Amino acid sequence: MTDHVVRLYAVALAVLVLFLTWAAVAARPWAPAAAEQDPRVAALERREARLRQRSERVERQVARRFARYERRLRERRREIAAVRVDNASAAASLPASPPATAPSVGVVSLPPVTSSSSS
Amino acid sequence: MERHAFPAMGTEVEALLDVPGGPEVVLGLASVEREFLRLEALLTRFDPDSELSRLNREGALEAGDDLLAVVAHALAARERTEGRFDPTVHDALVAAGYDRTFELLVGGPGTEAPPRTSGGVRIRGRRIEVDPGVRLDLGGIGKGYAVDRAVAILAPLGPCLVNAGGDLAVAGVPERGVWPVRVETGSGPVTLGLAHGALATSGSDRRRWPAGDRIHHHLIDPETRRPSDSDLLRVTVAAPTATEAEVLAKALFLAGEGAAAAEADSLGVPALLVTRDGRTRTAGGLA
Repeated sequence: MTDHVVRLYAVALAVLVLFLTWAAVAARPWAPAAAEQDPRVAALERREARLRQRSERVERQVARRFARYERRLRERRREIAAVRVDNASAAASLPASPPATAPSVGVVSLPPVTSSSSS
Repeated sequence: MERHAFPAMGTEVEALLDVPGGPEVVLGLASVEREFLRLEALLTRFDPDSELSRLNREGALEAGDDLLAVVAHALAARERTEGRFDPTVHDALVAAGYDRTFELLVGGPGTEAPPRTSGGVRIRGRRIEVDPGVRLDLGGIGKGYAVDRAVAILAPLGPCLVNAGGDLAVAGVPERGVWPVRVETGSGPVTLGLAHGALATSGSDRRRWPAGDRIHHHLIDPETRRPSDSDLLRVTVAAPTATEAEVLAKALFLAGEGAAAAEADSLGVPALLVTRDGRTRTAGGLA
């Protein structure tokens, strides 16, 4: 019975030792520290950050300009609508347009300036 | 009188301005030539890249202002003339041998009249649709439309006349009071004085070519889909616009002498009819 308990403790200890060893290996203590990051990667990260900032600036600028454009568009549409109303009331006050003018033609004895032959 | 002549739309175009010369006149006359060339590029059936050729090839398209306007005029004219003026005679013209610009036409045997089509052409908003097998020819009416456009360009500069191979329109009163225009009758030329409006002449005496043992001409009878056998040789008509005059001249030509004279009288359309046997008849109050 005592041997059995000892064996159980031994197995538990062995499992613990195995787990600790695995954790130590997984931590990769031999890997270089963060401060020793590849300079190319660091440069790329800096560049990405700069581009992100610029992109945000451009987006803000575009949003401002679009808002200004929409405001002017609304004003222009109001002006056009007002002109249309004016035109409509002006047209309504005109007399009805006469029918297309009938041609006026007759035989004359003048020297011709041109001729009409079969087209 | 300032004059500018140039070739366009398969004919000789001349523009007259009854004002002293100057830079504005030169520009105005040049604008007329540019307008003709622009419209020719859109409306010709001989250029596969023209808007009209695309419509004929594809059966439908979103049309520009000019094609839309000319097709609308043509369809209205077809209704008004009960089909004597018909823009869907394209295939009949080709079958008769008129399959290239007239300068290049050499004649040939000619083929049978093409099968009758539905003639269906629809305008929906800016979209023009033609039924399968329907193709449009806007040669004559396109010329009339171009004349009207050209006169509108020149009119602000002074009294003017634009003549595209017989389809002519005037605006403004010239120094002599009217625009004297020579017209051939059966017994020699007469001069018609046009104060305002337009004149057009349609006839089988020009644009003719040999086809086998016959002589074909370009005035197709939509009923037979062959060159018309009208007893008229030539019809000259006055109308408010060149577009309308062109339509009326063709419709009266196809109607034949008796019906044409009666129609011109009833509509009050001044017309000069020359028959194939050389007689001349006036109608519609022309004196």
